[in-house]
Amino acid sequence: MTNDLALIDDGPLINTDALPESLGWALKDEGLCRDDRCVLVPDRDALTSGDMIDVTAVAALLDRPALVDETSGLVAVGAERGQRRAGINQLQAPDFSLPNAAGELTSLSEYRGRKRLLVAFATW
Amino acid sequence: MQNELGADNLQIIAVAIDEDVEKVKAAAEGINYPVLIDAQHLLSELYGISNVPTVVMIDENDRIARPNWSASGNDAFREFSGIDSDRQHDRIRRWVREGDAGTTEDEARAAVPDYSADDEAAQLHFRVAAELRRRGDDEGAARNFDRAAELAPHDWTIRRAMLPLRGEDPFGQGFFDLYGEHQAAGSPYRGLHGY
Repeated sequence: MTNDLALIDDGPLINTDALPESLGWALKDEGLCRDDRCVLVPDRDALTSGDMIDVTAVAALLDRPALVDETSGLVAVGAERGQRRAGINQLQAPDFSLPNAAGELTSLSEYRGRKRLLVAFATW
Repeated sequence: MQNELGADNLQIIAVAIDEDVEKVKAAAEGINYPVLIDAQHLLSELYGISNVPTVVMIDENDRIARPNWSASGNDAFREFSGIDSDRQHDRIRRWVREGDAGTTEDEARAAVPDYSADDEAAQLHFRVAAELRRRGDDEGAARNFDRAAELAPHDWTIRRAMLPLRGEDPFGQGFFDLYGEHQAAGSPYRGLHGY
């Protein structure tokens, strides 16, 4: 389940060791890896500087939008563009996992095999 | 509707694109299907949802049978998960029982425009704003809410959702102003209207 979002403190350069905790991906010899997926890193030097890694460069490689709020140092990383586009253009419903009020997670894919009516609402 | 069509293999999943856990909890009272909380607006981004309520019909194999669908005109959804008109109910029933969503692939693919770079940035600014607000950085929150509003003026999951986070009444003057602006722009909605 890789459709998640991230808010990272004191970015965009963070400790490379902190990358898995911050973004769920690790920098390995094979590239950027998460679960059984790896993404090739064509230019490692563009990503890292000593012990540090640029999360916005990582986001770009993962094709995820990213934003740095300079004043606070907070970095926001969005969802994979490929997932959104697969939904909008190819009608492949992006999976997601969200909590109920009690904190219990439910995912769309949990109900695969059933027709699902996704109803987005708000109290505002 | 879950009771009526559950036996026909329908599962309703309600998602509140909302930060207010207590209000969502109250709204979920007595509901017999998952009511989830999407405080960071993940679904806005993943599905290109620009207003609520929005219904997406997803089949057994994760295909979107009918994308982002809103009540037409002045129809109000009776409950957050209900669809007021019989005609809308009929479309759903026909889909569940006969497998026909009455929506061609071409229509479905053309219904929801992809996010522009501005749309993406707006979502990110909104999240940063909400987080800074949580941390007590009101100036940082305002800065980012303002920027989000500039970048996505017609996205109500941004414009209206931010009203309570800025101490404004989402059913008050701010909302009326937003509604007027929205109407003047032709009431843009990313998706399908009607029955």
